Amino acid sequence: MSPTQKTLIADVKNEQAAKPILEVSNLRMHFPIKAGVMQKTVGRVKAVDGVSFQVQPGETLGIVGESGCGKSTLGRAIIRLYQPTSGNVIFQGKDITRLKEGELRKNVRKQIQMVFQDPFASLNPRKTLENCIIEPLKTHGTPKIEQKERVRELLDTVGLDATFANRYPHEFSGGQRQRIGIARALALNPNLVIADEPVSALDVSIQAQIINLMEDLQQKYNLTYLFISHDLGVVRHISDRVGVMYLGNMMELAEKHDLYKEPLHPYTQALLSAVPAPRKKGKKKRERIILSGELPSPANPPNGCVFHTRCPAAIDVCSQQIPKLQEVHPKHYVACHLYE
Amino acid sequence: MKDLLKVKNLKTHFFDKKQTVKAVDGVDFDIRTGETVALVGESGCGKSMTSLSIMQLVPGPNGKIVDGEVMMGSKNLLKLTENEMCQIRGNEISMIFQEPMTSLNPVLTVGEQIIEVITYHKRLPRKEAVKQAIELLNMVGIPRAEEIITDFPHRLSGGMRQRVMIAMAMSCDPKLLIADEPTTALDVTIQAQILDLMRDLSRKVNTAILLITHDLGVVSELAERIIVMYAGQIVEQASVDDIFDNPLHPYTQGLIESVPDIEGEIGRLNPITGNVPTPEQMPSGCRFAPRCTHAFGRCFEEEPVLLSKRHNTRAVRCFLYDEETGVKNVTDTKNTYS
Repeated sequence: MSPTQKTLIADVKNEQAAKPILEVSNLRMHFPIKAGVMQKTVGRVKAVDGVSFQVQPGETLGIVGESGCGKSTLGRAIIRLYQPTSGNVIFQGKDITRLKEGELRKNVRKQIQMVFQDPFASLNPRKTLENCIIEPLKTHGTPKIEQKERVRELLDTVGLDATFANRYPHEFSGGQRQRIGIARALALNPNLVIADEPVSALDVSIQAQIINLMEDLQQKYNLTYLFISHDLGVVRHISDRVGVMYLGNMMELAEKHDLYKEPLHPYTQALLSAVPAPRKKGKKKRERIILSGELPSPANPPNGCVFHTRCPAAIDVCSQQIPKLQEVHPKHYVACHLYE
Repeated sequence: MKDLLKVKNLKTHFFDKKQTVKAVDGVDFDIRTGETVALVGESGCGKSMTSLSIMQLVPGPNGKIVDGEVMMGSKNLLKLTENEMCQIRGNEISMIFQEPMTSLNPVLTVGEQIIEVITYHKRLPRKEAVKQAIELLNMVGIPRAEEIITDFPHRLSGGMRQRVMIAMAMSCDPKLLIADEPTTALDVTIQAQILDLMRDLSRKVNTAILLITHDLGVVSELAERIIVMYAGQIVEQASVDDIFDNPLHPYTQGLIESVPDIEGEIGRLNPITGNVPTPEQMPSGCRFAPRCTHAFGRCFEEEPVLLSKRHNTRAVRCFLYDEETGVKNVTDTKNTYS
């Protein structure tokens, strides 16, 4: 690439930087709990409870948290696999939260695609690889003559042999299946890919292959990733910025280097210290913060800060007021009373 | 330190009409009293089958232990009758599993399941057993043990269930605890709690732990010695410090390099290419050779043996190291890098 081309791209990037590709504001996703013969709603599981953030084009935003923190629900609510309870999802300047299903399919679905966690459950066992990848092409009206060619091309991009096209999913290993899932997501040239735990079900050596593949594809097609995972190491590796969720709330959001070097929120600190990292040469053992207790139920979250019941640094105000996500350092947002 | 368990040339194969799958293919290792040993490898490498073979819980009728010895003191566990083995399981050797929900009985209360172990092995009257069960639950850090004891497993969270499993496993002060992926199903903060608990308990009662895991992080937290398995065989054996500071086998090196760390430089990951071979396509020669970046002619023709340095616990199965001394073989490496 010539230097002029490079600056051109940089210019375009700067221009776009002002305009986020995805803007989520105050998104809530509550699920009703029904009970009794009449199926009356007796409560609500607040899976996602007021989350806001922006994603810039071409970047990777990682979302981390433990199981039940609402990170997967967040991904699904953004892509409208769930209808959000309230709040807005603005994609490329357009509010897609309340678009009709038909309109959504016509204008938005092509642009946002998803890669799922379980490569065994997310592929139809009765469809050959080719049929599986062709389906989105058919739905979105790619001319028939181009379809098969496109499948070959996609298989090649994700590093699978084009002769595999007529085989069934059970003939492939986990890593290969995840490659198929990625090929399917890329079939329509999306701008935003939401990846929900894409490497969690894979062995470490295969996991590294898939991460490298995702990085290559991002460069090649200028993709934007929303990367959801519980694995802090993987998220650190692939993301530009990282958001930490706890019980349906965003606790901290920062550039990855800031977040991992100097985590501000007590939950992030505890989370990072709990990761058992392989000892590497010349490295000191880190100080451990062990959280007592377990995650409260999202149907009945604590008052005030949702983390105060387990927080080693909780003060009086924590149990009374909900802390707001504020910019404490440049581009470093924290929802904690300690920094107000 | 005394040797507690010696596994010699253990072979567990699975037979069906078409083929024989050699899940465990000639595994040798020993565990000393009070020591924590980790058995590491990717799925399908035979690490779980090794532990099930020790307990003689290999799923039949297809699975069979075809050869080898598991010596505990002067007893060969593989020669014991089923009745004699029942006296060992849960008493001298006990086991905890990955999925705490499926390994607890859903229709019995938590207390009942612990009491069963105590009354069976210690032959205590029920009243005494209940008292001990409460003590055990307290020991593993379960709050309100007197109430929890009458609860059913579905009322407990994953971390709590794993604590109950540990309480049950420790109820007869076993000499060896086999922990098969004990924290894989748990979140990191809960995982940290459980690892802490296991470390404390093994020190307190001097129980040896055979930890089976794919997570190198967990290994470095808990284990003293590591055994790395690949395709049914041991490829490297060393202390934790040696493994992380200076891994010898190319597979071990690959494993360590493929894990993205939470601190330090972020470079491109360096994964092992290809996939674990399926039993039908087991390569001749070294089983890792097709994926190995250092492989040379000999690797594809001969099977390397597990070499151990004299006066050292270190062992490696690789032609890059000299057969007599176990020291890196310079001539061979030159060939491979060119």
